[in-house]
Amino acid sequence: MSESSENNHQQAYVSMKNFGHRYGPDPQAPIAVQDINLDIHRHEFVAVVGPSGCGKSTLLRMVSGLLIPSHGEVSVFNRAVTEPRDDVGIVFQKPNLLPWLTVKKNVLFPLKHKYGRVREEDKKRADELLKMTGLSAFSDKMPDELSGGMQQRVGIVRALLLNPDILLMDEPFSALDALTREQIGFDLLDIWRDHPKTVLFITHSITEAVLLADRILVMSKRPGTVLDLIEVDLPRPRNAETINSARFSELTNIIRGHIYEPTSHA
Amino acid sequence: MNQPAMPKLTYRQWLNKQGCRFAPALFFIALLVFWELICRLGNVPQYILPSPSAIVEAFFNVEFSRWMTHLWATLRVALMGFGLSILISLPLSIGMIRSELLNRTLYPALIVIQSTPVVAVAPLIIVLMGTDDPSRVLITCLITFFPLVVSTTTGMLETPPELIELSQSLRAPRYRETWQIRIPYAIPHIFSGLRVSITLAIIGAVVAEFVAAEQGLGYFIQFSTSFFKIPQAFAGLIFLSAISLLLFKSVQWLQLWLFPWSLPKKK
Repeated sequence: MSESSENNHQQAYVSMKNFGHRYGPDPQAPIAVQDINLDIHRHEFVAVVGPSGCGKSTLLRMVSGLLIPSHGEVSVFNRAVTEPRDDVGIVFQKPNLLPWLTVKKNVLFPLKHKYGRVREEDKKRADELLKMTGLSAFSDKMPDELSGGMQQRVGIVRALLLNPDILLMDEPFSALDALTREQIGFDLLDIWRDHPKTVLFITHSITEAVLLADRILVMSKRPGTVLDLIEVDLPRPRNAETINSARFSELTNIIRGHIYEPTSHA
Repeated sequence: MNQPAMPKLTYRQWLNKQGCRFAPALFFIALLVFWELICRLGNVPQYILPSPSAIVEAFFNVEFSRWMTHLWATLRVALMGFGLSILISLPLSIGMIRSELLNRTLYPALIVIQSTPVVAVAPLIIVLMGTDDPSRVLITCLITFFPLVVSTTTGMLETPPELIELSQSLRAPRYRETWQIRIPYAIPHIFSGLRVSITLAIIGAVVAEFVAAEQGLGYFIQFSTSFFKIPQAFAGLIFLSAISLLLFKSVQWLQLWLFPWSLPKKK
């Protein structure tokens, strides 16, 4: 499983080299992630799938700069990540909206929080983003007046406000019910098509990963290592029919095989 | 009758519903009647247990302006002590959240202060600081600030870690993390602390008046008791409780007015 990027002349947006993390300096300390090598290219959608506790979220935190890896290196735009960057946006597992702010103010919160003030043009941009995601009618509502799916949509819009080149998503739909989850997946694809971003998407749903991603990194149980890196060759735009295609089931079965029989991998 | 009617309550359900509504008031009235009856039928002397009617009579026998003087004396000390508590506990909590050193240093001291019975310390404070307002305010402050510190720190610590990560990922200054995320998150906790503290503030003021005062409702109760004007002491006590309840309610109203989002949603 050598790097698939050798014949790719594009510059890697995110690059991980022999990258891993151990909690604490003690050599006996538990290893969260081990030996990850991955390049993510411009406007590529990469999903990371693995069982609970395989260090997927740790991986994302290290790419975001919230956590510094103990081994190897992760770089964004050829610079080693040592602290959070402005061009990286994060969508968390829970929407984590501030209950005392309206939807629009929640969307504007990153600017208010970072710079202490919000300009008129930022407000316009927030309006546009809300319109694009069909949330205009809710911009003056409080978060608890929204359904879980809409709240997470606001969470995505909030991450898009600073117009990041790279979007990190940490199991963003895991708290939603199955129907909402599928719908918001398609919505995300629409947003991604209209506003291409480089996306690193963490999930424990195999079907979600296959539906959304260009490539899928399959991880093993702790310590999290790479079991496989799968190219998803399903045509875009993807929609409900994609899920019914033979290739879709084929791909999900390959991943399922890796996850349920971790010893069988080469 | 084609329109969808409200589901009809059975007689038993209706009774239950009305019962829940009026039971507290009915219970209260029944208690008063029972009390009055015991006093009248049992010929209980007034200096042992005055009847409710005697208490009401005693209340109106005291001039209104005298009530107000005593009320103001107590309220002034209670509110100043409460205000001082807020001024001390908020910065203290923020400091303890932001600095592990400060937390480790101060927390044991706070526990010691809290475990020392204020009633026992009050005379010492009076001796040390004199019989004026400052010592009374200090006594009130000592009794009220601990619940505020605990509730504020608890609230700030319960901020979802992902929101703190959001703040870190934006590389926002720490003070904005405190003011824009942690403190608003602590509002519900802060207000439950305030509700506890405001009633404690009245207790603190009364304790201080018991030790040394010439005015105030606590003083009034003590003074009335020592002259065996028991109905008048009861009247003072009930007035004091009513004020305490009003202050408690005011804190709730304040929360509803300023931070409506911080209250649990009613179904």
